[in-house]
Amino acid sequence: MTELAALVKRNTRLYFKDKGMFFTSLITPLILLVLYGTFLSSVYEDMFRSAVEAAGTTVSDQLIGGCVGGELVSSLLAVCCITVAFCSNLLMVQDKVTGARRDMTISPVKPRTLAFSYYLSTLLSTLLICGVATVICLLYLKYLGWYLTAEDVALLLLDVVLLVLFGTALSSCVNFPLSTNGQCSAVGTIVSAGYGFICGAYMPISQFSEGLQKVISFLPGTYGTSLLRNHAMRGVFAEMKQQGFPTQVVEAIRDSVDCNLYFFGEKVELGSMYLTLISSVVILIVLYITMHALWSRKQG
Amino acid sequence: MNTMIEISHLSKSFGTVKAVQDLSFQVRKGELFAFLGINGAGKSTTINIMCGQLAKDAGRVCIDGADLDQDADCIKRSLGVVFQNSVLDKHLSVRDNLESRAALYGISGKAFRERLEELADLLDFHDLLKRTLGKLSGGQRRRIDIARALLHRPKILVLDEPTTGLDPQTRNLLWNVIHDLRKQENMTVFLTTHYMEEAADADYVVILDSGKIAAEGIPLALKNTYTGDFITLYGVEEAQVRGLGSYTPLRDAFRIAVPNTAAATELIVRHPELFQDYEITKGRMDDVFLAVTGKKLTGGEAK
Repeated sequence: MTELAALVKRNTRLYFKDKGMFFTSLITPLILLVLYGTFLSSVYEDMFRSAVEAAGTTVSDQLIGGCVGGELVSSLLAVCCITVAFCSNLLMVQDKVTGARRDMTISPVKPRTLAFSYYLSTLLSTLLICGVATVICLLYLKYLGWYLTAEDVALLLLDVVLLVLFGTALSSCVNFPLSTNGQCSAVGTIVSAGYGFICGAYMPISQFSEGLQKVISFLPGTYGTSLLRNHAMRGVFAEMKQQGFPTQVVEAIRDSVDCNLYFFGEKVELGSMYLTLISSVVILIVLYITMHALWSRKQG
Repeated sequence: MNTMIEISHLSKSFGTVKAVQDLSFQVRKGELFAFLGINGAGKSTTINIMCGQLAKDAGRVCIDGADLDQDADCIKRSLGVVFQNSVLDKHLSVRDNLESRAALYGISGKAFRERLEELADLLDFHDLLKRTLGKLSGGQRRRIDIARALLHRPKILVLDEPTTGLDPQTRNLLWNVIHDLRKQENMTVFLTTHYMEEAADADYVVILDSGKIAAEGIPLALKNTYTGDFITLYGVEEAQVRGLGSYTPLRDAFRIAVPNTAAATELIVRHPELFQDYEITKGRMDDVFLAVTGKKLTGGEAK
């Protein structure tokens, strides 16, 4: 236990002290903020307003604010949980590059303790950053228009934890075989640039082509974004219904922002989304353990 | 004398490249053992196998009575390794670095604080404890590397080219510490180096070439076997030296190569009028290395 605690402490400290690694992990959420700040928020605002007005009703600025805010918050948290985990977990590659890994494996510490320490420290760092991000996001929603219940907030937190677990497990498997700075940069760039698109954070999946939507529906991260969006925007839709908005209009908006996801035409329920995400976490952890066991056997 | 390291018929290949071929040697307790060879000779492969970093293809490795195949953890506790390049975390402080590494050997709390105090006294780095490792000079960092290797009081200190790139003052400090450790704790030191004068101080030398032992023995025996003696003769003209055999002109003298000390004596006795001011020296380890491998060891590369 002393070894594991010391390694987790060391890894977590290194992540926060290495400014390059820390700020790189925040690039994707920052890109998203810039996108929303410059044009995405007004695009969504216009889209919601026109959808509602087409149905012959009017909508308050606060409700529109809550809607756009919910979209931003869910997108931001969805990418944050994954990209922070990936960058934090790149420490396992950095340790190979700098030789620190070799310095640790000449000690009697078990390889599995070392592998577990990377997982735990990534989980801890990502939870810390995403926890802070969630608090900031909730304060932002309070400012724009608060429609959340205590249950929504609790479920939002659960979604963040699940996505962090998913991001940590996925990054552990992807980063495990990497061993050079070039590979690190490639993975960092691909994840930073690509994940926001494929999880529906930069742009709702509903706006993609049908074929692409089918491919994306196989990716578990998509359901994490949808869960966050459902819980961040549930109150807004409930308020719309209470104000007498036609159910078809509300459902159309839910479809357009990916609150409703479809797997080959079948609507995916929230329970199934949770099941998909939890199963993915379990499968990825088993895969990480297997990869590690095979590597240890190869090392002799 | 106890045997601390016993390697028998060790072999390791990477694809078609035979990195180590049927290597056998012993290192005795308290010995300064020098392991020489150009880059790619098999030194690092052997060290990596000894440290449990690399699986061997064949052979047996026993360290301090423990077999690597059966008790790798025990062996890891016996070894302290100073790598060629610093492998500590440059973003963390010296204290944090040493604390995290000590914990890997189960050393924490009071035991760590006491050991840290001892090492800071020994290597004189009290004033560096709170500083970030990446901001230290090369020499200061080397001292911390040695402290890390000594944290768990290893019986064998493995030094993988420890003085490469260091200034003479830090090299001296490092060697003084190593001599003190050998004297006080009878520590065995396993050294690989490119500096032949460091190998000349060793108790036993093994020269590797293409994964095989090319020569081994105490430095004096190696010099006697593989190189001759040299007479440096002062205060004579070149015309007078020409008849004495093979020579090299120096600034104010001539260096005459002779097969051995007996031949040197014979030459002096034959020409007493010339040998008024002279000195006889043994060949250097560089000469031994060149004679054995046909290569000069310059910065690890063959020349």
